[in-house]
Amino acid sequence: MPKFEWQEVSIDVDEDGFIEDPALWNEQVALALASTEGVDALTEDHWKLINYLREYYAKFGIAPMIRKLCKETGYSLKEIYDLFPSGPAKGACKVAGLAKPTGCV
Amino acid sequence: MPKSLKVSDISHPVEQLAQVRPDELMPLPPPYDKIEEQPGWKEISPAQRQKYEASLDGVVAVGVPIPATAEEEDRLVEGFLSGLKKLLTKENNWTFLQQLMLSIDHCARCQNCIETCPIYVSSGYNDIYRPTFRSDLFRRLVSKYIKPGGKYFGELKQGAIELNWRTVSRLLELAYRCTLCRRCAHACPIGLGNALITHELRKLFSMEFGYSPKEIHDKGSMLQLKVGSSTGMNRLAVMDNVEFIDEDMSDLTGLSVKSVWDKEGADVLLIHNAGEFISWPENPGAFALILEAAGISWTLSSELAGYDGINYGLWYDDAQFARVALLHAQAAKKLKVKKIVIGECGHAHKALTVIADRILTGDLSVPRESALVLLREIVMSGKLKLDPSRNDFPITLHDPCNMVRLMGIVEPQREILRKIAPKFREMEPHGVYNYCCGGGSGFAIMSPFNFQDWRLSVSGRMKLKQIVEAFADCPGPETPKYLCAPCSNCKGQIRDLFRYYGVWEKQRILYGGLVELIVNAMVDIKEPFIKWEFH
Repeated sequence: MPKFEWQEVSIDVDEDGFIEDPALWNEQVALALASTEGVDALTEDHWKLINYLREYYAKFGIAPMIRKLCKETGYSLKEIYDLFPSGPAKGACKVAGLAKPTGCV
Repeated sequence: MPKSLKVSDISHPVEQLAQVRPDELMPLPPPYDKIEEQPGWKEISPAQRQKYEASLDGVVAVGVPIPATAEEEDRLVEGFLSGLKKLLTKENNWTFLQQLMLSIDHCARCQNCIETCPIYVSSGYNDIYRPTFRSDLFRRLVSKYIKPGGKYFGELKQGAIELNWRTVSRLLELAYRCTLCRRCAHACPIGLGNALITHELRKLFSMEFGYSPKEIHDKGSMLQLKVGSSTGMNRLAVMDNVEFIDEDMSDLTGLSVKSVWDKEGADVLLIHNAGEFISWPENPGAFALILEAAGISWTLSSELAGYDGINYGLWYDDAQFARVALLHAQAAKKLKVKKIVIGECGHAHKALTVIADRILTGDLSVPRESALVLLREIVMSGKLKLDPSRNDFPITLHDPCNMVRLMGIVEPQREILRKIAPKFREMEPHGVYNYCCGGGSGFAIMSPFNFQDWRLSVSGRMKLKQIVEAFADCPGPETPKYLCAPCSNCKGQIRDLFRYYGVWEKQRILYGGLVELIVNAMVDIKEPFIKWEFH
């Protein structure tokens, strides 16, 4: 299991850089993970998406559908890609500390 | 040309047995013909090589640990022999013993099958991927180590082989270089299956050692048995998603869409691959709309696994397979439905309609049917008002191996397309001679180490070529085109292929299912249903 280290942060991640234990996530970890996604600073827009993802994840144990994410946060898919260049699943969910999606998705 | 290999080389202590080189792969048609523009491969690092089995071809699908001690080496060999014996006894192999014995005893080594394998051909005829390489190896092991007198005569009968830990750990990886598409079995004069041997090897490794890709087992069938779906959706999550999809569909089409949950006595229990709800929600949405418009009595089930038709055990483990198949049948029994209809998912078709016959006997024998058949009935019945000119763009069809070659469901989808898609054209070859998307048998969801590079460069290569050639008369991005692929797993692989090679940007080929095209042709919807956005 690869170890990911950034400043004071040291966490286990999978081969795609997703956090192994979502319980270890905090804001510092988000900044650390964002650095792997070409995102230098987390703006209010980033946090709005991250917070929505985390709330949904806490309730249902999975990431929301992308269309739902767009509709309920008001960001278009293009805007999400502008904020997280790898996109909602591989970018935003990773920074928000969600586990990598599973199944035929 | 890749250097040739002997079957007995599998046990040699070389650092890597075979090489996959981009310049030796089958050439792709333009605009993907420049090797320097193709995405590069991720290399397995020296540190990873010390830890995981990567000595077959420098690709890692499973990541089995390299044995650290002589005891661990022995354990691999002994476990393999124990598993091999079990595969060949009826008490332990209740699914495929007869077919396996036929495939072991009757191969005439005519090699008729090898040219039909998309992986072997795409790889530039790399011996390590020759379908008979694996089968021959398997036969030699059985002949020498299992058959009576094999120690003395086994090699004389079938050829030289040495069983050591390298043979075992390389065979495990080699069992994940075949998509189980069964094109070779179709070409065999007596229908013997290289894919079957691949499957039995996977089964041995999973059931004897617990070795299998984590996407298929830990995060696949185990997750489905625990929460109800390999996507991780429990019943609350799926019901929340479907509620959202219904609202979204109603907004998009101007028609009221309301999915039905847990309706007792419905004619049809519709089971989708649950990946559709998350990644392609327009697909289950279109199903709901069509079934409602056609007045079908139908329902979804919120029982454990009742809303996820996947059964990954099909690819690697009979026990996992049986557990999930039972849950599907029980969901139908509980709702007292007349039949189960399986959505656009190829392996779910094979699992529940064909292979599950072995366990769904007596009371559990609920009738099962492909959605393609029901859709044909609906489209041909005239219950929907359809205007084919709404699908006035070039369309080609991908045939999912399990529905078409395995089950013979060839015409229903074509009858529908001929009715609703004026610019439908076949890709070549098609129907039962189709090529796999390259994501079959679980590959579409497997991306560990550098396996994704392999499945997009090698196993998916033939499909990409076929798709591009089907649109040779309109290649440019100025003409939007549609690849109809009525299977979730195939769609996942095609999406990844298109992203990898930049197909959407270069050629504007969109992919999607069949029901989306039906809804797009419905005159009652207010605006085009198909959105020309890649996702």
